[in-house]
Amino acid sequence: MKQHPLCTDPDHGPTIMDLPLAEGLKTEWAELETRRHFLGRAGKVLGWAALASLGGERMLTGDAHAANVVPSAQSLRLPHFAPKAKRAIYLFMSGGPPQMDLLDYKPNLSQLYDKDVPDSVRGAQQLTGMTAGQARFPIAPSHWAFKQYGKTDTWVSDLLPYTARMVDDLTIIKSTNTEAINHEPAIMLLNTGNMNAGKPCLGAWLSYGLGSMNDNLPTFVVLLSKVNPKENNQPVSSRLWSSGFLSSEYAGVAMRSSGDPVLYLSDPKGVNRDVRRKMLDAVNEINRQTSQELGDPETNSRISQYEMAYRMQASVPELTDVSREPQSTWDLYGPDAREPGTYAYNCLMARRMAERGVRYIQVYKRGWDVHADVTGMLPVLCQETDRATYALVTDLKRRGLLDDTLVIWGGEFGRTVYSQGGLTPENYGRDHHPRCFTTWMAGGGVRPGITFGETDDYSYNVVKDPVPVRDFNATVLHCLGIDHNKLTYKFQGLDQKLTGTTPASVVTNLLA
Amino acid sequence: MIRLKGIKLVCAASFLTSIALLLLPFVFKLDGKTHADWQQFLGRFHPTVVHLPIGLLLLVPLLELAGRYRPALLEAAMFILSLSVLSCLLALVLGYLLAYGSGDAGAGVARHMWGAIALTIGALGCALLRSATGGPRSFYPYLLASVLVLLAWTAHQGGSLTHGNKYLTEFLPAPLKRFGMGTVQASAFPDSFYARHIHPIFDANCVVCHGAQKVKGNLRLDTYDRAMRGGEDGAVIIPGNPERSILWQRITLPPDHKKFMPSEGKPPLKPEQIAWIRAWILQGASPELKSLPGIYVREEETLPQVPDYSGKMTEIAETARSAGVTLVPVSRNLGDGLILNTVDAGQKFGDAQLAGLAPFAPYIVEAELGRTAVTDGCLPIVAKFTHLRALHLEETAVTGAGLSSLTQLPQLSYLNLSGTQVTAAAIAPLTTMKNLRHLYLYNTPAARQQP
Repeated sequence: MKQHPLCTDPDHGPTIMDLPLAEGLKTEWAELETRRHFLGRAGKVLGWAALASLGGERMLTGDAHAANVVPSAQSLRLPHFAPKAKRAIYLFMSGGPPQMDLLDYKPNLSQLYDKDVPDSVRGAQQLTGMTAGQARFPIAPSHWAFKQYGKTDTWVSDLLPYTARMVDDLTIIKSTNTEAINHEPAIMLLNTGNMNAGKPCLGAWLSYGLGSMNDNLPTFVVLLSKVNPKENNQPVSSRLWSSGFLSSEYAGVAMRSSGDPVLYLSDPKGVNRDVRRKMLDAVNEINRQTSQELGDPETNSRISQYEMAYRMQASVPELTDVSREPQSTWDLYGPDAREPGTYAYNCLMARRMAERGVRYIQVYKRGWDVHADVTGMLPVLCQETDRATYALVTDLKRRGLLDDTLVIWGGEFGRTVYSQGGLTPENYGRDHHPRCFTTWMAGGGVRPGITFGETDDYSYNVVKDPVPVRDFNATVLHCLGIDHNKLTYKFQGLDQKLTGTTPASVVTNLLA
Repeated sequence: MIRLKGIKLVCAASFLTSIALLLLPFVFKLDGKTHADWQQFLGRFHPTVVHLPIGLLLLVPLLELAGRYRPALLEAAMFILSLSVLSCLLALVLGYLLAYGSGDAGAGVARHMWGAIALTIGALGCALLRSATGGPRSFYPYLLASVLVLLAWTAHQGGSLTHGNKYLTEFLPAPLKRFGMGTVQASAFPDSFYARHIHPIFDANCVVCHGAQKVKGNLRLDTYDRAMRGGEDGAVIIPGNPERSILWQRITLPPDHKKFMPSEGKPPLKPEQIAWIRAWILQGASPELKSLPGIYVREEETLPQVPDYSGKMTEIAETARSAGVTLVPVSRNLGDGLILNTVDAGQKFGDAQLAGLAPFAPYIVEAELGRTAVTDGCLPIVAKFTHLRALHLEETAVTGAGLSSLTQLPQLSYLNLSGTQVTAAAIAPLTTMKNLRHLYLYNTPAARQQP
């Protein structure tokens, strides 16, 4: 009797890989094999049946060619349109900088010192546990004077003398707003588009969608700046640069602020480059076998990560060797930049990475969580960051890199106009404030010299042109040539995207 | 005997009708002024009624052909032909009332009118000839054919009046467009704010009724001079004074106002378009000013397209790989061109390797040669990259000798020479390059020589 082909024992016939099937089906088959493995190779017939049902479904939906399980940068065919920016540098001010002390000038507040924020302004807002119990919400006007700068006559606080010099190059957004009022959900939302952990961050989406621009350095690098123990530092964790459900090769590579930038990158004593190469070749061979057997895409990312690490053994020392930087670099970035791990050093590194084809660089500066002693802490924070931020933008500009580099500056939320804790003419504190905060962008794709969005007289609510986080991220993606609605990845039954399920839109008025 | 008399009578009546139709435009001249409301009221039924003669006339040849197999249909053909003559007359009269009543004038209106008159007389002729010969005989088929050709032409003229004359060709596939007509130069200053932003608004929203084809209120907005000349109420644009400019007044009325423009249910102008018009008038309604302070218009940049290379993808990838570089598309639209990325090759990439990419020169729009081993010898090769928009030569041994060969690149807008040894004299020839907007000379002798 002639047997049905799907009922034969595959050990004695052709394997599925020999059949003339769509490549996507084979990949999916390889995935299924993982499950087979789990069943102790007992379910061969089951496996064939599974393929048959899979094939049947695909054939019905006519989707067999689209069944590529792990899309690659090539298959996505990105960018969707010619981008203005090839790369992005995100200067992340973790903790939440106080907008009304830096760029959101509110001249009327000085007359309202120690008056209460009107209930009509606060509305029914739920506050954090840190100030919800306060009997009063006394207005704390900014301690610092503001002046107008540039051709655009933009108001900038005396705290930011260097930023003031480049206002004509900035696209200032005063109406950024978020839904989260605490650090972790807010910083997750900004980075991944979702308050809960587990989603890929902006950098991972960019690596996944646009691919690498070079062979020797990661596509996405995170630079953690040295912590100043006097500041109120909120933790930042690798969840913020995670690739979520995307392959782990798209996750950010974090460089440490002290010691080796990347751990275990230097060879141990007695191991030279040849030995390392032989060892890697052997490990790769084993990994390839595992990959063939199990078809887990994560095995492939492991192979590529090992290879990347090998190449980084040569490229990272070259990257961090700043001995050939001209004196003009140090004149611009200031003396802090000579000390590895400082924010200024990281800004310099960001420029060097941009030159070397790193797609997305995120520099974290912690300590902006000024619940108390604003007048003591803010000058320190600004002194640490203002000059280097200016230096980075200026350096990119004079070297011709700002045309196709998008620089983003911002934190996860803003701070309250009312004082947390005691208010004195000399000092005050500020709590978390999600309803408005100021961010800025500069460079490729955005319109220089504008201020977008307006807040009310208390810097409390947005009164014109609100930019929610999802629109902010949609705009960033647009600058890099990506339609945020089209860069998706099917996971948990949903076409996931950075901007989430609430409809988001590109803020076209920010675009150049 | 009676039949002959009848025919004679009909002939005489047709002759008189034809004379009357031919005289109509001379008796009641289309003077561009509006007339009685009842004329406009009836006239506005023209667009509805006009489809009747079109349908009927198209039916006639079908019936004539089908009549060969079913003779009864031949009889029907005569009936339909007579009906189409009557409906032609009706549509013509209504159309004339519309044009005369609402003060339409212009070449397009005239063409449509004369077409309709000729068409009606032709249809009348067909009917007479057919009834005289008792069937589709003699030169009746030829006359009918010419009437149908005339019908198509007249109908197209009418369509152009309502929808604008670009309606049909606007979405014509690009390869076919090449055979079409070039666009008319509306302004002597193609770079001006008027030519780039104001004229297109007029063109898309106003020129249907205020253009060469149709001239309502004796106002034409299809060129700068005519717009400034104004219409029957005098000037519509008063430089420096938008509030007194009739044009601005009309577009800012409430949309349900009788005098609101664009009229007749056409979509109102967008707020930013109104703002541009206001700013343009306020700042003098100049035909040549390139930009208006305070007004920023974001333009969808259309990148110049490179020749098709989709058939050479594997060849390109292989050549690039052997040179240790990548050639990546700017976007998924391959016409946007390729970026030459040399970051991984570094000092291993020199003039010889660049020369190896010459077969793909027209497709490369951005050449990242920074920190490579290229020298001045690369410049003649780069000069063959005819579609090049950006050239990176930073930190290379380029001294600037031969930079003048880059002036052959019409689209080059970005040139980075930072960290090279170029001098002010070497870059002097670049000043003639109109599109070169970004020139970077950081850390070069040229930058140090400048004050």
